[in-house]
Amino acid sequence: MKKLIQFKNIVKEFDGKLVLKGVNLDIYENEFVTLLGPSGCGKTTLLRILGGFLTQNEGEVLFDGQEISKVPPYKREINTVFQKYALFPNMNVYNNIAFGLKIKKEPKDIIEQKVKRMLKLVNLEDYADRSVTEMSGGQQQRVAIARALVNEPSVLLLDEPLGALDLKLRQEMQHELKKIQKEVGITFIFVTHDQEEALTMSDKIVVMKDGEIQQIGTPTDIYNEPVNEFVANFIGESNIIEGVMLQDKVVMFEGRKFDCVDEGFAENEVVDVVIRPEDLDIVPREAGKLKGVVKSVLFKGVHYETMVETKVGTEITVQMQVSDDRPVHNEAANEKISANDFYLDVEDIEELDEATIIARADAQAWNPEEDELISIKEVQYTIKKENGTYPVTFSTAAGTSVTVNMIVKDENRIISQENEEQIFAVNFFKKVDEIQESIALETDLKTWANASAWSLDGEQAVEITDVKYDFDPEHITPGTYAVTFATKGYEYKIDTTDKHEVGEEVGLTFTPEDIHIMSRAQ
Amino acid sequence: MRQFRSMIYPYVVWLAIMVVVPMLLILLYAFTKEGNSVTTFRFTLENFTRFFSDAVFLDVLKRSLIIAIVTTILCVLLGYPIAYAIASGPEKSRMFWILMITMPTWINMLVRTYAWVGILQDDGLLNKLFGLFGLEPVKMMYTTFAVVLGMVYNFIPFMILQIHASLAKMDKSLLEAASDLGANRWQSFLRVTLPLSLPGVLSGITLVFLPAVSSFFIPKLLGGGQYVLIGNVIETQFLTSGDWNFGSAISLIMAIIIMLSMYFTRKVDTDPSANGRSE
Amino acid sequence: MEPRKSFWKKALLWLTALFFYLPIVYIIVFSFNDSRSLTKFSGFSLRWYEKMFSDSSMMESVVYTIVIAVLATIISTIAGTLAAIGLSRSRRMLRSVVEQVNNLPVMNPEIVTAIGLLMFFSALGIDKGFLTLLLAHIMFCTPYVMLSVSPKLRSLDPNLADAALDLGATPLQALTKVIVPQIMPGIVSGALIAFTMSFDDFIISYFVTGNGVNNISIMVYTMSKRVNPSINALSTLVIAIITVVLLIVNIAPILKEKRRKKV
Repeated sequence: MKKLIQFKNIVKEFDGKLVLKGVNLDIYENEFVTLLGPSGCGKTTLLRILGGFLTQNEGEVLFDGQEISKVPPYKREINTVFQKYALFPNMNVYNNIAFGLKIKKEPKDIIEQKVKRMLKLVNLEDYADRSVTEMSGGQQQRVAIARALVNEPSVLLLDEPLGALDLKLRQEMQHELKKIQKEVGITFIFVTHDQEEALTMSDKIVVMKDGEIQQIGTPTDIYNEPVNEFVANFIGESNIIEGVMLQDKVVMFEGRKFDCVDEGFAENEVVDVVIRPEDLDIVPREAGKLKGVVKSVLFKGVHYETMVETKVGTEITVQMQVSDDRPVHNEAANEKISANDFYLDVEDIEELDEATIIARADAQAWNPEEDELISIKEVQYTIKKENGTYPVTFSTAAGTSVTVNMIVKDENRIISQENEEQIFAVNFFKKVDEIQESIALETDLKTWANASAWSLDGEQAVEITDVKYDFDPEHITPGTYAVTFATKGYEYKIDTTDKHEVGEEVGLTFTPEDIHIMSRAQ
Repeated sequence: MRQFRSMIYPYVVWLAIMVVVPMLLILLYAFTKEGNSVTTFRFTLENFTRFFSDAVFLDVLKRSLIIAIVTTILCVLLGYPIAYAIASGPEKSRMFWILMITMPTWINMLVRTYAWVGILQDDGLLNKLFGLFGLEPVKMMYTTFAVVLGMVYNFIPFMILQIHASLAKMDKSLLEAASDLGANRWQSFLRVTLPLSLPGVLSGITLVFLPAVSSFFIPKLLGGGQYVLIGNVIETQFLTSGDWNFGSAISLIMAIIIMLSMYFTRKVDTDPSANGRSE
Repeated sequence: MEPRKSFWKKALLWLTALFFYLPIVYIIVFSFNDSRSLTKFSGFSLRWYEKMFSDSSMMESVVYTIVIAVLATIISTIAGTLAAIGLSRSRRMLRSVVEQVNNLPVMNPEIVTAIGLLMFFSALGIDKGFLTLLLAHIMFCTPYVMLSVSPKLRSLDPNLADAALDLGATPLQALTKVIVPQIMPGIVSGALIAFTMSFDDFIISYFVTGNGVNNISIMVYTMSKRVNPSINALSTLVIAIITVVLLIVNIAPILKEKRRKKV
């Protein structure tokens, strides 16, 4: 095959922002090439440079061996199908398709012949006189393709042409486009952010990110042997686990050795292990290479997407002391007020303010007859930055007041070096009715316990995904209860045809061929 | 949301009284005779026959139409390049120029028209400028030139804004598509830009033609007391001669001419033959 | 774009600006002229302003113009906003009829509207003067307010008012706390159009007023029959007022934004 287009070290910037960072790419004759990547990756920019609508800041574009950067679009042997088709609304279907031929001043009968042939190719034979504004998205799409192809270009550029269509039509057009490409036998360069589209149609996929090419290959290559985490995640779904290559064909992750088929890594090299969800199987616990608990099951139509946790995250357990204290009743002012004791971390004292104290003590005043909240006007307290018990008094404007204790204790945290994170929470006091009346108990428990999780350096917040308790909130009685907060552990996504129950203990299995090893060095 | 529906009813009543009734009164007066009292009228076409059988009035009508048409044509020919120049600039400069064009329209038309008096005098600014180039002073005040100039000056912003709106609305990728399909800049303009901006041109034409044909203070200020257009005739009938029936008939004739011209402009706009497989 | 082409475009635009602004600058300059001449500037003086301020009929016309413009703006803005909201909820039939009738004063030559109103007021036996002038101004300003408010209403989420009602707001609260704030930009620009339309109006005012009630435009028109440099002073005053109004309307939001950012 012959090299038709060569991009050589293309650099493009907009307003000082690098959109293409030196792209090198060869495109051959008769190829269906897809530029794939998330929005802002530079794929459309590259296409527009080839179309002649943008000029690169650096680098060369060769077409058939000729540098074409200075050639205006109307002199290039390249045609484009635009994102929103850009059909001329003042012309009917026939005149849209005939546009390029009329510009070239081809004889009328030749034009008619060529347009007819194109209409047939895109299955719109009866639509010649239709106004393009009255057509559906799919039909407009076909007109746009016909309008470009009728000029017999050597390359057709398609800029996300299927983006505006609904799912069903999109799949239909994917096959249609592939068919047309085979029939006319020219190079198609197709831009999309849809990986499925890319996998279905392409001979060659170019995966791009942040103005750089990540990987070039056939759809199967890219799916089965992604070169890095980005490609693995962008093309299909993946479980990516950190591992160590012990020797050729042996990798260790989750503390166990597994056989694989990859080789050529350094001894003890730290790598990313990729296992596709469809390659994992759920088996009875004893038969599994990995063991875990089903965390969630989502029905996806063809299959169930089952999440299995093989290792829990960082956990912390605190005590919740439940009482059935009654609120203070000020009959003269017809007001009730309530608050509860609460624990504080020494670290929190610096940032303590009245609003926080009111929230942590859950201080509330209300009118019992009308059941209307009354604002708390005054919060009186003294506190030192050391362990101890400090009283705090809340009062309303009418003088109704309640006093509770703030108990300052050393920080209550658990640090996990392995997970590189830390989690905080404190013991707390609650009343029966507060628990019964909570409409979002897990969120409230997090607030009451002041639970939070951070990366080890304290820079990044980590989500607390699990709140575990074993009381019945509807019928809770005074007493002490344990509440456990946990971050996300190791989770595997598995596509299964059987439905598993949440909480089920299962095993996971896979073959050596299902494991793909990616180097961490980019 | 039905609760807000009833808010329209008072306005409907107001519209009926303040807009519909006066229009009906014009119709009534145009087809009746005998004075301004409601009890003594009789139906007649006299007012119309009087207008169409008097050469003086027909001359005035002809002159009004010619001046309005000339004004409109000038507004298109000057307004299109201006609108095009604005629309082809970057966003910031577009906003600036639109503001520049719009701002004078906020100022009283009468004042702006009056401002030309000093400039167009025999020894005014324009003739002084001509003098610098060694040209003889030209008489401009109280000529057709002054009247047309006043009209173009007052009405061309409408044309520019309309054309600009349709040019700005145009999808830029259409020009890329034309270029992609082999059209050079001039071909893209003729085959894509111009046809797509035609609706703007047409609505600009209505917005200019309508006030131009009915204007009466521009001819009076810049054309002088002797310069009579159809608007001046109507003014005289109502405020000097007091012949409201005849005045109503003339306004009706004028309104019909305007409506007909608008109808034809609209028709060109939506004409399906413009979209046919011709050429 | 080639630099040569953009040069011609720039030149064309600045020539256009010259064409638009020259007469305005000219009239302002000559309002400070020492002599009566409209063509020879013989020295700076404020005599025409003095003359204008001491001429009671001119000052009266300024007061009338402002009073009518303010009243017509307030009334037509409120009425137009309410009508536009009502219209947006009306059945399609009624809506298209109202829109058509509304367009009559906008699409008709002003002189036709003017004589219609003239005959209407006289048929009712209302004396021409302040009241007829005000009614006429409200009549031609309201459609512009509606034209400016309606697009904002169309782009409003149709469930917004329902959501407010669902959350316990009364219809009046839904209107004032939810709908009106959302369409405020439309209301403000509608009010601005109404103000300038009323402030600048000549043709309709000229036909429907009488009994010595004149606005600035009528003053200029009647005085322009003779050379009278006070017209220049009056015109400059008009230009100044409109410029100030435009500046306030355009700058107020910017200042507000700045203050908000500071807080």
